[in-house]
Amino acid sequence: MIPIENFLILSALLFAIGFYGVMARRSAILILMSVELMLAAVAINFIAFATYLDADAFSGLVFALFVITVAAAEVGLALGIVLRLYRERRTANVDEADSLKW
Amino acid sequence: MGMEQAWVLPAIPVVLFVLIALFNGLMPRRGDFLAILGMATVVGLVFLLLLDFTGSFRAGEFVPGGSNVFAFDWINIGQGFFVIEFSTYVDAITMVMLPVVTIVALMVMIYSTEYMRGEPRYGWYFAVLSLFVAAMLTLVLSGNLIQLYLAWEGVGLASYLLIGFYWERQSAAEAAKKAFVTTRIGDVGLLIGIILLWRATGTFDIQQIIAAATSGQIDSTYLTVSMLFLFGGAVGKSAQFPLHVWLPDAMEGPTPVSALIHAATMVVAGVYLVARFSPVYAEVLVARDVILYVGLFTAFMAGTQGLVSNDIKRVLAYSTVSQLGFMFVALGVGAVGAAMFHLFTHAFFKALLFLGSGSVIHATHRQEVEGLGGLRHKMPITTATFIVGSLALAGIPIFAGFFSKDEILHALISDGPAWAYLVLAATAVLTAIYSTRLVLLTFFGKPKDQHAYDHAHESGPAMTGPLVLLAILATVSGFFVFDQVGEALGLAGGIGALVYLDQPHHFTTLDWTFAAGAAGSALAGVIVGWAYWGGDAKRAVGARSWAPDLHAFLVNRWYMDHLFQAIIDRVILGLASVVAWFDKRIVNETGVDGGAQTIGYFGYRLKFLQTGKIPNYALGMAVGVVALTLIAVGG
Repeated sequence: MIPIENFLILSALLFAIGFYGVMARRSAILILMSVELMLAAVAINFIAFATYLDADAFSGLVFALFVITVAAAEVGLALGIVLRLYRERRTANVDEADSLKW
Repeated sequence: MGMEQAWVLPAIPVVLFVLIALFNGLMPRRGDFLAILGMATVVGLVFLLLLDFTGSFRAGEFVPGGSNVFAFDWINIGQGFFVIEFSTYVDAITMVMLPVVTIVALMVMIYSTEYMRGEPRYGWYFAVLSLFVAAMLTLVLSGNLIQLYLAWEGVGLASYLLIGFYWERQSAAEAAKKAFVTTRIGDVGLLIGIILLWRATGTFDIQQIIAAATSGQIDSTYLTVSMLFLFGGAVGKSAQFPLHVWLPDAMEGPTPVSALIHAATMVVAGVYLVARFSPVYAEVLVARDVILYVGLFTAFMAGTQGLVSNDIKRVLAYSTVSQLGFMFVALGVGAVGAAMFHLFTHAFFKALLFLGSGSVIHATHRQEVEGLGGLRHKMPITTATFIVGSLALAGIPIFAGFFSKDEILHALISDGPAWAYLVLAATAVLTAIYSTRLVLLTFFGKPKDQHAYDHAHESGPAMTGPLVLLAILATVSGFFVFDQVGEALGLAGGIGALVYLDQPHHFTTLDWTFAAGAAGSALAGVIVGWAYWGGDAKRAVGARSWAPDLHAFLVNRWYMDHLFQAIIDRVILGLASVVAWFDKRIVNETGVDGGAQTIGYFGYRLKFLQTGKIPNYALGMAVGVVALTLIAVGG
């Protein structure tokens, strides 16, 4: 059996890469993809712990399914917003979409 | 009509007020006949009530305390913690007030049909008269203090509306405002008194309060203070010093209104109030002394002012203030019977005098006595009835004022300080002098304004009728002093026993030696007046050159109005500007605006945290999550 540490390391790496992407990237599309990476890291954590702690329980797995569903919905919504933004400003650079302030 | 149905009396004029005020445009004669018919009905009902009352007295069923009937809870909070009832209370004092109010009101309404004919707002005038009568009847029938206070303000409102009836005239509007504000000052005292009494006894019921106060359940200092506040209300309403200044100005109203409200009925509400609480005032002698001296000073002061006034109505107004002072003097020595008796007779002869002066004004359109004169040739009925009223006011025997004033002087010499008696007796002489002056200058001598004289004419029957009737009443109402009159009416023990139950010794059948002295001094006053003003007109007007300083002092009303104006200008407005500064700078600019501006400043500084840049928000979220996680794991 693969030790749980391996899963956790993988998940942490994915999360860190995603986090870096969200922070560092300026393109809305790339930020969205990074968010997907972070969600995937969370889903991996759920499945790993679910299997290791109680192999007969489904709650962790169900949660992973929920995460995937939410991620899909989120992408659907966010891509729509990005599309509108692009149509409006001819760019998907989030630094330029900063008019929602004082 | 029994005592249980006494609530009908104010109910009739209330309904008439609403009907006439709303629909007078649709009615023939603007509804004046409705008001008069209603008033006549009320007078009839009052006499039925009187019969019932004396009947129960004869049958020995009469309870000295009267009876509190037709009570229902108006407001009841906290299971009897705070109860206000509507109730009527009928006793001897009420039975003196009811005929006075209703008869004078009826006379005034009949008189007004001619006096006010063709005036704008004729229907409204009768509506407000009805409102006044309703409030006044509620006042005298009231069994509890809140109801009394309501009616007290009701008569004040009617008075305000009628003083300012000719509101197009600046002076009338000012006088109405002055009357309202001045009496309000007293009314605040009354309200404080009511609240203090409620706090001590837990009830507004007048009889329960009297019972509690006379049985010593209330601390005597506390009671003294409460009763003085209550008297404050009486001072305002009855135009006693220092709140007397509104009554002479109230003469801006139509003359019949002055007769009804500012001579016969509303202004005696204060006397009524103190008389109603007389058992309590008997417990707090300090308060009673205050009443005595306030009344004494007012009587003398107003008497001297009446001596010089040039306006026929104002002379009568000063005389009213003075006579109200007489009543308070009587109350101040505990002679409730004498006070109520003087109230009773004064109402008739003073209403008569006012209506008589109205007749003169109606005929000549002048009201300065120095511009009148000789009218006896033109207006015989007005002259005769006016003389009857003046004789009653002066206190000449067989006329009503003689008997009642005699009772007051007698009570004062029995129970009051000797010097007070001398002052009041001197005031009585003054009364005789200015009454004589008024009659002589108006009706005798040569006409000073030929034009006005030529156009003068006797008034019609609607005005002379009430004058004659009131002249009869101004004569016979004094005869109630005799026990024989009471016995002739079938009252065992006479009138004194009925009306003045609780202090029979104050109501003596006439003491002839004493009365002769009073009659003599009144006569002396008349003779002095005759000697001075009976001659030619030049001398009458020349009165002011005899003692110009004194004359100026009196004409300027002892400079009392000036003093009050100065106090308002300097002290009150000064104080107000300090308070206004505090309110503007401290409360508003520092407190309210200051708080808002501080928050606004911080908001201005903090708003730059919002950059609108998504990575910044994302970083903030990340830092927040890390911080929360650290806290959650206890790092």
